[in-house]
Amino acid sequence: MNPFFENQAQLTRRHFFGRLSNGVGTAALATLLAEQNRDASANVPAGRPAAAALGSAVEQEGLEGFPNFPATAKRVIYLFQSGAPSQMDLFDYKPGLNELRGTDLPDSVRGGQRLTVMTSRQTNFPVAPSIFPFSRHGECGATASSLLPHTSKIVDELCFIKSMHTEAINHDPAITFFQTGAQLAGRPSIGAWLAYGLGSANQDLPTFVVMVSGDGGQPLYDRLWGSGFLSTKFQGIKFRSLGDPVLHLSNPPGLDAGIRRSMLDELAKLNELNYAQFGDPEISTRIAQYEMAYRMQTSVPELTDVSGEPKHVFDLYGSDSAKPGTFAANCLLARRLAERGVRFIQLFHRGWDQHFKLPRDLAKQCRDTDQASAALVTDLQRRGLLEDTLIVWGGEFGRTVYCQGTLTHDDYGRDHHPRCFTIWLAGGGIRGGMSYGATDDFCYNIAENPVHVHDLHATILRCLGIDHERLTFKFQGRRHRLTDVAGNVVNDILRQPPA
Amino acid sequence: MHRSKATTSLRTRNVCLLAAGFCCWLVLTISEPIAAAADPQPEPIVFHRDIRPILSDACFHCHGPDNAKRQGELRLDTGEGVFEERDGYRVIVPGDVDKSELYRRLVTDDEDERMPPADSVRKLSDREIGLIARWIEQDAQWQAHWSFIPPRRPQVPSVKDTSWLRNAIDAFVLSRLEAEGLAPSPEATKSTLVRRVTLDLTGLPPTPAEVDAFLADPAENAYEKLVDRLLASPRYGERMAVSWLDAARYADTNGYQSDGDRIMWRWRDWVIDAFNRNAPYDEFTVDQLAGDLLPDPTLDQLIATGFNRNHRGNGEGGVIAEEYAVEYVVDRVDTTSTVWLGLTMACGRCHEHKYDPFSQKEFYEFFAFFNNVPERGRAFKHGNSPPTIKAPTWLQQERLDDLQRKLAAATDELERLEPQLAQAQREWEESHALTEPVNFSVSDGLITHFPLDGSTEEATGHIQEKAKSDSQDEEKTEEVVPASPPKPPHFGDGLLGQAALFQGEESINAGNFADFDYVDKFSLAAWIDPGELTDGTLLSRINEIGPLKGYDLRLDEGKLQLNLVTRWLDDALRVETKESLQPNGWRHVLVTYDGSKLAAGIKMYVNGLPQPIEANLDELNQSFQVAEPFRIGSGSLSVGRYRGSIDDVRVYDRVLSREEIELVATPDSIDKLVALDSSARTETQAAKLRAYYLAHQAPEPIQQAHRRAKALEAKIDTLIDVIPTTMVMIDREDPKETFLLVRGQYDKPGEKVVPNVPGALPPLPENAARNRFGFARWLVNGSNPLTARVAVNRYWQTHFGMGLVKTVEDFGSQGERPSHPELLDWLAVEFVDGAWNVKVLQRAIVTSATYRQSSKVTTALYNRDPENRLFARAPRRRLPAEMVRDQALALSGLLVEQLGGPSVKPYQPAGLWEELSGNSYQPDHGAGLYRRSLYTFWKRTAPPPSMMTFDSAGREMCTVRQTRTNTPLQALVLMNDVTYVEAARVLAERVMTSPDATAAERIAEAFYRVTSRQPRSGELDILQQGFDRYLGNYRENPAAAKELVSLGESPPNETLEAAELAAYTAVTSLILNLDEVVTSQ
Repeated sequence: MNPFFENQAQLTRRHFFGRLSNGVGTAALATLLAEQNRDASANVPAGRPAAAALGSAVEQEGLEGFPNFPATAKRVIYLFQSGAPSQMDLFDYKPGLNELRGTDLPDSVRGGQRLTVMTSRQTNFPVAPSIFPFSRHGECGATASSLLPHTSKIVDELCFIKSMHTEAINHDPAITFFQTGAQLAGRPSIGAWLAYGLGSANQDLPTFVVMVSGDGGQPLYDRLWGSGFLSTKFQGIKFRSLGDPVLHLSNPPGLDAGIRRSMLDELAKLNELNYAQFGDPEISTRIAQYEMAYRMQTSVPELTDVSGEPKHVFDLYGSDSAKPGTFAANCLLARRLAERGVRFIQLFHRGWDQHFKLPRDLAKQCRDTDQASAALVTDLQRRGLLEDTLIVWGGEFGRTVYCQGTLTHDDYGRDHHPRCFTIWLAGGGIRGGMSYGATDDFCYNIAENPVHVHDLHATILRCLGIDHERLTFKFQGRRHRLTDVAGNVVNDILRQPPA
Repeated sequence: MHRSKATTSLRTRNVCLLAAGFCCWLVLTISEPIAAAADPQPEPIVFHRDIRPILSDACFHCHGPDNAKRQGELRLDTGEGVFEERDGYRVIVPGDVDKSELYRRLVTDDEDERMPPADSVRKLSDREIGLIARWIEQDAQWQAHWSFIPPRRPQVPSVKDTSWLRNAIDAFVLSRLEAEGLAPSPEATKSTLVRRVTLDLTGLPPTPAEVDAFLADPAENAYEKLVDRLLASPRYGERMAVSWLDAARYADTNGYQSDGDRIMWRWRDWVIDAFNRNAPYDEFTVDQLAGDLLPDPTLDQLIATGFNRNHRGNGEGGVIAEEYAVEYVVDRVDTTSTVWLGLTMACGRCHEHKYDPFSQKEFYEFFAFFNNVPERGRAFKHGNSPPTIKAPTWLQQERLDDLQRKLAAATDELERLEPQLAQAQREWEESHALTEPVNFSVSDGLITHFPLDGSTEEATGHIQEKAKSDSQDEEKTEEVVPASPPKPPHFGDGLLGQAALFQGEESINAGNFADFDYVDKFSLAAWIDPGELTDGTLLSRINEIGPLKGYDLRLDEGKLQLNLVTRWLDDALRVETKESLQPNGWRHVLVTYDGSKLAAGIKMYVNGLPQPIEANLDELNQSFQVAEPFRIGSGSLSVGRYRGSIDDVRVYDRVLSREEIELVATPDSIDKLVALDSSARTETQAAKLRAYYLAHQAPEPIQQAHRRAKALEAKIDTLIDVIPTTMVMIDREDPKETFLLVRGQYDKPGEKVVPNVPGALPPLPENAARNRFGFARWLVNGSNPLTARVAVNRYWQTHFGMGLVKTVEDFGSQGERPSHPELLDWLAVEFVDGAWNVKVLQRAIVTSATYRQSSKVTTALYNRDPENRLFARAPRRRLPAEMVRDQALALSGLLVEQLGGPSVKPYQPAGLWEELSGNSYQPDHGAGLYRRSLYTFWKRTAPPPSMMTFDSAGREMCTVRQTRTNTPLQALVLMNDVTYVEAARVLAERVMTSPDATAAERIAEAFYRVTSRQPRSGELDILQQGFDRYLGNYRENPAAAKELVSLGESPPNETLEAAELAAYTAVTSLILNLDEVVTSQ
């Protein structure tokens, strides 16, 4: 026999039996993988490609030279509020509008900006001030409406960006833009970029986890956590509340863990024999991936089993946190994922698209999300994790100050408004207790410090120690990046602005 | 010598099978003498291999084709730019590195002068700088980018070891190997080969009988015979279609937001058929890009044009139509240029191309070819968006022809009976004067009828309680707030008996009738006397208060108006008569809607006569069903109630024909018509009397003949209703103007452009049509340097896992150089000269010695060439997603083979669609669970997860490059997905039914079935030991065994002991999980 085969076969066999006898060997396998896993489709931009699968949970490194700077955040929890929350009913207080109730939005303010076809044919654009009272909170004195009693209590930890703006005016392209930096399908999502650039920090769990909640309203799309032109191994893994937390995680009914273990042992031996014949490193990788799958069968249920959480934690997140699939339950899981080093945790909560009946439906959305969002910040802070966990809260665009449909004394609706809206960030090197940027008196245009989606992306990457211009992948002849050809880090909101 | 014999016989077969030129594939093996080995000296620099890629990647961004961004007026992508004399210096002085400014700027210590600049992401390595220096020293030969130089047939290279050669491909491969000091691998074993090539050409594994037959065939050309059999199999088309569907971004949904269904499987089936009949690639190209512009296009040629309608379509509420109208065309340009030219034209959308010689203007000239479709920027949210055609399958067409023949015969029969009928009717009229009033009208499809003769309770006709559809509203239906109860109407003299009288305060709440939706057909009819023609609603099923939703028929400034409203202004349809009605007096009004979602699907009639109408709004896109009653005389209170009289309201769930409409609009009762002298009857009166007589009084044989004809008409209508539509390309008659879009923005038109091809490529022939047809012919007229290279490269990728040009999507300046440029050119030239014969091309590839090598690899070879770019071994590749699944189904015997048809919904974990959107996934039962994966329903925003886990293309956009990952999620699918557990169990049942076999024999049989080879004894031991453990375990836990074997919808074989079956299932599952099994090795 060719000595190479012998050598390699023994190597893997040794790992294999090493694991069998003492239950470890993982690190050795991972090393083997790092040497051997090669993806024919990967290209090499600035450094070498990530060694092994990411979505795939095997511990691995990212690109050489990354992170480029000392990171202030090791991980991100992105609480995406899908459908577009109304900024002037939640955060961006415009007391002057009360006097203008029902009057037409002046053309000088509208400035000929495009409107969606849902309202562009309206004959008038009556100003609809928020009916919710606002007050000041915390030491920083941030304003928030009565719909957000819990968020109001943590404003000193938050950085509000009131001057966000985007290019898209419809949900699908707008959400896609926020998640991938492009309105059309085909680009990698933020989490996939991070998985590609930074690799994994946990060997038993995926690097990029997605959870969805909320029903009705705008749909979501797999592309929002897809890997675009990056290898599919970088795509987000959706954790589900129905059935297996990860698809196909459980053994089929009637096949218990003992038989599975035995089958995997036989499988590994047979694959070893084939490896001895063919010498293809992909075979070793596959052996390792089966072992990883087996470990995930334990590590994922352990992660999603919250029964050991004390009552005060459920109290903190609210009663919904005990109901799988709710936003609150997902926030609690997000904390558990963060504790385990999962790098990018992406939550989506649907139902913020209040074209009509805004007062009723927005209040409901806030009841479902306010407490848990605030609890997550508080919980991470108590555990000392807020320091290096970046939290982002926000939707894909804002809503119009003018009413869609009929304005009554207690009812109104709002159309899509990409020109200005509010999001908040916390932790991970972001300055708390501040507000950045401002809108005009109608909450229709940005008055100072505009922050574009690309700027937000650049800033998120900066917190993770990444120069957004250097995280690139060559596809169709061009080095693509999350921020396309734009993006400026918003230094003013960083706790330690770069020197 | 037997090698040459084989060659001769192959050649004969080749000619008769595929009837094409292409002889050179096979003949060289005997002719070439041994040539000298490659030059051992350092290789001379080849500009387009060694230098151009560096300049392109590091310099073109600022010193390339983009005029707007060019720095220092220096251009390095053309020879002129590189050699021009500048102020006292030259960028490059051939042979003199020191005088070449370019070199100086690469190596200078001056930060401000060094290139690329300090803030650039790109840096040059010492090796790259060294290459440039050597190039200059070697006289700096300049060449255009290789792929724009037309391929010329290269000399087939000479090699030392001619005995290895099977066809010309091998000479190119071996000559390179010899130059590299490498030898090819030995041929793979026959059992490896039969599995490899069967999977590769049909997507399914060989059956044990096929393996046996091949192993037992001693003929020298046994392999070639096998290949020919596989190429002739209809499975070949199914296999080849998949990557074309990926390239064409084919799917079963529209791809944005709600991601509603579409029907494009007729196009998918066209692709399968095109491969199976071996459509030449030029024809395949022209049919898909411009089939509609061929003279008298066939149905198939029209269907083929769906290629460029497969892109996503946005139906989201509020989208700005012009924005997406542009996106669709950009997608066509992007896809077409990627698939046929391997060019990244998309870069030119916003600015000049940074790397390749294409200007922004040229992008829009290309764009103009595809910008002439009469389409709407806002696609339908659900279903196909215009333009579409009805595309019957051949079975449907056959059935339709048959019915039409029968109808013609039935009509002839009626004609033959006409004199008899007329005679009988005359006699009946004379002898049976009716004394009682007899009313008669059209009753087919009558949902409800309100005579309004003094009461609102006497609705007659078939009352249809339609189930509420689960509409995909963006906003939930508003709860109905009860309005102040309207008054009931008074009744007074009507046209037919009494009529309801309305004075603006009355309404008849007629109950839960006529719950039509936007895809339903219907007709609404009534007699009205509108008095002074004030605005008001005649008939409706619409929200009384709150946002408008539903439908109504009303008077608006005297015009008859139909509104179908989901959301007023952006999701609604409004059609009205051009002229106002006359005030006062009875007249019959009738509207029909054909369920097309288009204003063009509405017709309006007054007194049976069609009215000129106009659409004020034509944007209907979603369900308008509401939980409101059908109302007479009232609708949305924002419009107001009706003032006037209404009589005899009729609602049909179909579109009435002209004759029927005239009949409904003829008020006279039958007794009165009979009483009229026949010469005094109008045509419509006579027709109504005839219809009544035929339906109720005519002699039975005549009635029968009449009913037969009507039944056939109904059958034809029903059949036509179920014939699928498919989206097609059509050119507008008045060509749409195209403008360069500044920064690519839809609302920033610049210079006007006309269709043209990029200047860096050969021009359109003088006499070519400046449309898609001219464009498509230009692609395949043989002069295009890219088309054939790009195509053969993709087929190479199909069989070797990687193209000769690895960047199959980019043959431009930033793409990779071919690993074997001469081989690529040789294949391309042969392909064109051989009449674009795809099967011949593939046959040559898979019968080459290169392809037939073993895939085993030594450490030295692996380290030397990890990606196998030199082909010193066969590729060892994980199977593509669809093959992984199809193989398991085929091996178990569960696979249901059926070519084409609507997409199917196999197993999928519950709730995946629901958690992302309002849609729910209902898996099929029976055959739909077991069809080949290319028939799986493809929802773009939530594609089948197990397919995606194995790297399927997502089908949101054109994908031509294959990826292969190796992840734990794949392990989870193969171990636990019901598809694979069920397949394992059914496979276990298969091997258990062989009588008197030992466990070892059964396990060995399962192994052989799956891998096409016998297990070695060590392997069998491992499996046998495992089996014993599983069996012991399941004998102790019979309930667990029962559970395991009951998985899946196919019932387990009850005659088998559950514990034993479970143990074998574990073994077969294990075998299906082997790396070797999900791999072509």
